[in-house]
Amino acid sequence: MPKPWTLRICHLYPSLLGVAGDRGNLIAIQQRCAWRDIGTEVTEVGVETVPDFSAFDLILFHGGQDKEMDVAAKDVGDKAESLRQAVETDVVMLAVCAGYQLLGHYYQPFIGPRLAGIEALDLYTVGGARRFMNHIAIECDFAGGTRSLVGFENHSGQTRLGPELQPLGRVIAGGGNNGEDGAEGARYRQVYATYLHGPVLPKNPWFTDHLIWQGLRHRYGEIEPLSPLPDGAEERAHEAALKLALRMKGKTTALEPTPWRR
Amino acid sequence: MVAVQNGILGSARLSLAVSAGKLAGHTGRLLRVGGGTSLPGMVARALDPDVLRKMVGSTRARKLVVTGSNGKTTTCRMIAALAGAAGQRVFQNRTGSNLIQGITSVAVNGATIGGRLDTDLLIFETDEATMRLAVPEVKPDAIVVTNIFRDQLDRFGELYSVAASLEAMIGELPAESSAILNADDPLIASFAPEAKARRIYFGVRSEQVGAAVPEHAADTIRCVRCQHDLEYRKVYISHLGAYRCPNCGYERPPIDVAVTHAELSGTASTVELETPAGPLRLHLPLPGLHNIYNAAAAVAAAVGLGLDLSEAAAALADLRPAFGRLEEITAGERNVVLGFVKNPISYNTTLRTVLTRPGRKHVLAAHSNTVVDGEDFAWLWDVDLEELTPQLASLVVSGTKAEEVAMRFKYAGVDEPSIQVVPDRPAALEAALQNVESGGTLYILSGYTPTHELRRAMVQRGWVAPFWEE
Ligand SMILES: [Zn+2]
Repeated sequence: MPKPWTLRICHLYPSLLGVAGDRGNLIAIQQRCAWRDIGTEVTEVGVETVPDFSAFDLILFHGGQDKEMDVAAKDVGDKAESLRQAVETDVVMLAVCAGYQLLGHYYQPFIGPRLAGIEALDLYTVGGARRFMNHIAIECDFAGGTRSLVGFENHSGQTRLGPELQPLGRVIAGGGNNGEDGAEGARYRQVYATYLHGPVLPKNPWFTDHLIWQGLRHRYGEIEPLSPLPDGAEERAHEAALKLALRMKGKTTALEPTPWRR
Repeated sequence: MVAVQNGILGSARLSLAVSAGKLAGHTGRLLRVGGGTSLPGMVARALDPDVLRKMVGSTRARKLVVTGSNGKTTTCRMIAALAGAAGQRVFQNRTGSNLIQGITSVAVNGATIGGRLDTDLLIFETDEATMRLAVPEVKPDAIVVTNIFRDQLDRFGELYSVAASLEAMIGELPAESSAILNADDPLIASFAPEAKARRIYFGVRSEQVGAAVPEHAADTIRCVRCQHDLEYRKVYISHLGAYRCPNCGYERPPIDVAVTHAELSGTASTVELETPAGPLRLHLPLPGLHNIYNAAAAVAAAVGLGLDLSEAAAALADLRPAFGRLEEITAGERNVVLGFVKNPISYNTTLRTVLTRPGRKHVLAAHSNTVVDGEDFAWLWDVDLEELTPQLASLVVSGTKAEEVAMRFKYAGVDEPSIQVVPDRPAALEAALQNVESGGTLYILSGYTPTHELRRAMVQRGWVAPFWEE
């Protein structure tokens, strides 16, 4: 007997942030809910409006190009307090690339003025001359056991985490946060921040399900685990991406790297 | 002049480079080495890195460079047809070979053994990333910019840096040259307002086409001056449309070559254009609004070159689709429509055209990660494949990215067990054709490398000529 559950999703800056097919994350969440008869309700939140973010169960905060990130950064200050409150009350957040960078103290581009973050997480990002453009694979421990996430990273921002902040995972292949300390992404309460595009969720169904489950727990409290789905296509795509990341380990795929900021 | 300055040795070297390039081209064609179009340029450049600069520097032929994300190949073919009908002798790079080697091949193929270019017009289709190499060597008389859509991000980088480098080139064009720009693309229309070159804007000013809201893949919908969201009275394709910034007043410039009327069907369109040389009515045997843009760009280029347009309608009436642009191929008892898709916009445009055709669709979708195709296929999630799902009759996915493509279709609502995953391209073609009833049509939607591979498999069966014989 399916429960009449509905996941309240906030899609933050959908017209600004979503440069690398990140819309696929929303599609993955919606489909995996639909396949289990769980409803989804999507609210698009753009500039010049400050909703009560704690009234959502799951927030998507994606990546964008420099200009779009500038516009989002200018606006996000007004939303910072409500967003921080959502974070502290265990609303689930998936933050990717620019979204990830804006969760921290600041983003200092290679050229140009510093962008202030919302200070939800103890991290900062500095634009480097080197661009990470790789098939990436990382290893995570947070959802019971060690599992891998695969994706494609495309950033020149180098992120450093404060001493108390957990990374999302350890780099198996690719650059990760800064190409030096082996950390990728950040995790705090129910915030999951990462440089993984791809988009990250479809190829990593266990991660998608973890976000959905945590989102439902935010709304409905203690609930039983989600029913498994037949994930043949997802597992094959994951396997192929993992192989590719391991094979291309240490290589950058960009043909003509140019000094764009991220 | 350049050859003279370089003296006897310089011209001997040029002559050697050109001959070797030509020979390589012949050999490539004889051996049927795939993509023989860039070989002459590659060989000639190896022998004389200045070969292109020297040849175009000493010719009286005019040079036209066509760049942009989508529509380059078809626009070039249309310009060549218009120029041909106006009595011009034309050389162009034909088959989407738009990197510097392919561009050099245009000149090598068109030149005499001594390296002289005895022709009227050279048309260079040029990849956005290759512009900064090609433009200083070619010194074009006109540059056409078709549009700037988000392309493979891992190849070209961000939209804005592509735009900025194109803008700089437009800004440096000399006074006697022309910049042919898409007025409906806010990014392009704003290029180099102080440029000395004559500006010719093309665009659509018709109420019959277009929609009110931007599609998902829309990527530049903010004002280029003040970053405010643009307001669109009409959206034609992605961010192309009739726009205005409510904050600073930046708006679409007046259009010189304007599409004032358009009637589209699944296979052709009829358009009326307003041009500085008078009205023009064209029948285009190619489907889709994107081809109407290509025609407007081509007519604007012809206006820029001062070509006589009296034979324009006849010149464009028997145009055939460029290689892989919804190319119709008879495959024994069946038909194949080959659709080359390289980014979300070209994919969505192709998809919309396919969806206007009647009946449920048998589809073969193929993508591979290679240097030319790119590594990151995240953009497949910006393609509205959900619209295809209800019309699917069968689906085969192929290429080195077959697993990822299969998963994308699963999330677009296709039943997983019904998706046939056949990574090998010829085997996938075989499997996909088996799904099609006699007299039916197979639609192929594929990236650059798989399109070549699938086409080659059809060449081997004698269904279609190799592309250099087109
Ligand atoms: Zn403005």
